[in-house]
Amino acid sequence: MRRWWAAAVLCLAGHALWVAAGGAQPEPRRPHFTDIAPKSTFAYRTDNNFTGRKYFPQTMCGGVAAFDFDNDGRMDLFFTNGAKLPELQKTDARFYNCLLRNRGDGTFEDVTARAGLLGKDLGFSFGVAAGDYDNDGYEDLFVCNAGRNTLYHNNGDGTFTDVTERSGIGTKPKDVLSVAAAWFDYDNDGLLDLIVSNYTVWTPQTDKICAVNGQEYYCHPKVYPSVAHRLYHNLGNGRFEDVTDSSGFGKELGKGMGVAIADFNGDGYMDVFVANDTVRNFLFINQKNGTFKEAGYEWGVAYDENGNAHSSMGADAKDYDNDGWPDLFYNNLKGQIWGLFRNIGGKYMNYASGMSRVSRLSAHSSGWSNGFIDYNNDGWKDLYSSNGDIDNMGQISRQPDTMFENVDGKEFRDVSAQLGPDFNHAGFQRGSAFVDLNNDGFMDLVVTSLDEKPRIMINSADNGNHWLLVNTIGRRSNRDGIGASLKLTTASGRTLYNHVTTSDGFMSSSDKRVHFGLGTEKAIESLEIRWPSGIVQNLKKVKADQILTVTEPER
Amino acid sequence: MTTLTSFPSQPLSIPATTLCLIVCLLASPLGGQQPAASSDTLLQHAIALHQAGDLDGAIRAYREYLAAEPDSVQARSNLGAALARTGRYDEAIAEYDRALRKSPDNPALLLNLGLAYYKTGHHAEAAARFERAVSLSPQFKEQVTLLLAVCYNNLGRYKESVSLLASLEKDKAGDPGFDYIYGTALIGDGQDAAGTAVINRILSRGDSAEARLLRGTLELSAHDRDNARADLEKAIALNARLAGAHARLGELLLSQGESERARAAFAQELALDPGEFTSNLNMGVLAKEDQDYVEARRYFERALRARPNDPGIRYQLANVDLATGNPEQARQALEALLAESPDFAEAHATLATVYYRLHRSADGDRERAVSEKLMDRRDALQTGAKSR
Repeated sequence: MRRWWAAAVLCLAGHALWVAAGGAQPEPRRPHFTDIAPKSTFAYRTDNNFTGRKYFPQTMCGGVAAFDFDNDGRMDLFFTNGAKLPELQKTDARFYNCLLRNRGDGTFEDVTARAGLLGKDLGFSFGVAAGDYDNDGYEDLFVCNAGRNTLYHNNGDGTFTDVTERSGIGTKPKDVLSVAAAWFDYDNDGLLDLIVSNYTVWTPQTDKICAVNGQEYYCHPKVYPSVAHRLYHNLGNGRFEDVTDSSGFGKELGKGMGVAIADFNGDGYMDVFVANDTVRNFLFINQKNGTFKEAGYEWGVAYDENGNAHSSMGADAKDYDNDGWPDLFYNNLKGQIWGLFRNIGGKYMNYASGMSRVSRLSAHSSGWSNGFIDYNNDGWKDLYSSNGDIDNMGQISRQPDTMFENVDGKEFRDVSAQLGPDFNHAGFQRGSAFVDLNNDGFMDLVVTSLDEKPRIMINSADNGNHWLLVNTIGRRSNRDGIGASLKLTTASGRTLYNHVTTSDGFMSSSDKRVHFGLGTEKAIESLEIRWPSGIVQNLKKVKADQILTVTEPER
Repeated sequence: MTTLTSFPSQPLSIPATTLCLIVCLLASPLGGQQPAASSDTLLQHAIALHQAGDLDGAIRAYREYLAAEPDSVQARSNLGAALARTGRYDEAIAEYDRALRKSPDNPALLLNLGLAYYKTGHHAEAAARFERAVSLSPQFKEQVTLLLAVCYNNLGRYKESVSLLASLEKDKAGDPGFDYIYGTALIGDGQDAAGTAVINRILSRGDSAEARLLRGTLELSAHDRDNARADLEKAIALNARLAGAHARLGELLLSQGESERARAAFAQELALDPGEFTSNLNMGVLAKEDQDYVEARRYFERALRARPNDPGIRYQLANVDLATGNPEQARQALEALLAESPDFAEAHATLATVYYRLHRSADGDRERAVSEKLMDRRDALQTGAKSR
């Protein structure tokens, strides 16, 4: 009897082996994410002041920036917060913005008050963009608000100063909601300029009430007017000029959400994509003379394939198929189709949501912030989205985030369920930043959710893949090196592409260091950097698994 | 996922009077219109077989007679009726067509041909024959009104359907078939209050799949998705073969992001009626989203057969042309479409992209301007709040 039992087990084992040998390829080992926020003491939770009355901007709350404010080599975190409504003021501490200093031991210290970033005098804050606009080596912050926008200058001593008024960057039409922004140097003069994505004109007093059968819901965007996004030209000496009208941005009225910056046509000048909510998307192609041409139609990204403008939310522009051209992604609401567009030789974009399976994977999720992130360091940029419904009325309003893993640059598969319970937390997720918080070469995730503390999720970094992080320091170019394009060639000849930007997703600003996953390869044959100044720098035989600081050469 | 609107395509319950009309016309040979050829025993034999219910025998006899007398309208018409009675509608249509070539203004022939088209789901062709029959013989109006209204509903011509039925409401209200067809038309035409009154009238007689479908349709258009789902699922529970119910549920599921379940619902609808418009349209859109353009084209072409010349479907087909690398073909299709539907904003937008792709920038700029103007005008007309 005992022998028979043993034989049966052997038989079963043999069958299992046969299935493994003849079946699908074994699944790769995947890193997972663990939320370390509970280890730290801080008061911040994303508070949109929802108390029953549904004010239009409440759906957009919880911007996040990952940046190293104190230059200690560890990335810190900044969060924006809402305001008391209808007062539109941060009447008490629960609405304050928040700066968390990375202690380097897995905990964060709340240094907001000391840094002068509480924002007590601000209204409802939305997006945030980090960038060193004055090239002094310290990252500054721009905060988008209902009410006046704010430029904070990093003083280099752990404090910030509100320089909005004297910078000239605070100009915008009355009552415009500014929701997101991106730093970039559009004229390659070595100074970071700023594009601000504006949504509409709104005040608590003009807020509309929308209801069905007595139940209030958040109004459809169509009931609010579209507005122009604004471009600010950095004049140097801490001064900015509003060039919205002269640059061509003023002609196009939208309901701006996420902003993505990339050189889509490879002419050495950065272009701007703005995802608009229920209005066609804009692709502003840099004309290299201080003006932009809106070319969403020409590039095929204004509408979806049915000619419809959806609720475009966050946006990111990176090269997901490693062909050397930055592609484009935006997410939108459940029942719509997230837009993945493949750049065809810098001439136009082809819709790629279907062939890549993004259309099928995304149909059930309402996405907000997002971005291309090579979370497993295999050299292919995956697609992350922070999800959650607009409203709280449906049965599946609270949603988990999604990670669509890039399979050889051709298609994506949903691996969210395998990334751990913290990743799969269901909520009304909004902002997100990609950042290597512990400098282990694997990208971590910081995500805000309405009425919750943020999740600070550390990548388990346990699949053995190799990596490189490149910290660019411009000299003739802007000091951050934003806009620099990088081409990495491994020892086996594999080429990977990326570029420097802090803006991705929605309301958020990510680690400016350029991340490359290298898979199993340990050797990098070359790294080519094309700086915004036009200087091309070539590095040979670069060691993998390091944070490489590269300073722009003089010529 | 799709913005193209659609409504229940075909009611389950055609009213009893209308059913009677179909049976009578298809069963009865045109004996009363026989030629005076008393020697024509073969034809008499065929008619006798037909009247006795020996349809196969009658068909053989009619064909034998027609071999010798191919121009006999009566024999060919009767042959068509016998074929239709046996469910061989395509053959019947061919015989009716041949008879009509000899007698183009024969209202009874037109009516029978219309019925054969109706039975095969060719509502545009059926409507055209019914309209012509009534114009030739107004006495047919009462007999074909409901059938014509069903055709109009299926073709998305709800306004014409309402116009046809409104005058009958006083007499017909309370007739289950009439109420359903009229309710479908009213809701399709956006007359929600009047549609609700009809739904309530149906429900006053007890719960019914038809009433649930109508109410679910109304709720779906009002974005009241939870109630729409409950009503549509109940409609299917009450009658899983109710035409249009699975299609409507599919639309709801699509709007909820449940695309796989939506696919299954549309497939169920198409299993009941392979030509159903909404399901073919949405399956085409889903296939297009998957970039399975061959499959998308197949569905769109089937939808176009259900609603010939439908601008939305023609637009989708042009999009398939563009997506498959045929901008020149897309240009021709869009230009033809816009010549007939100049206010189709999305088509102007796509044509702008096509022109840019063809390096015709000035034309692209023009189409872009037209598109934006039309969309702005449409937005301005959208007063009042709505949910997403």
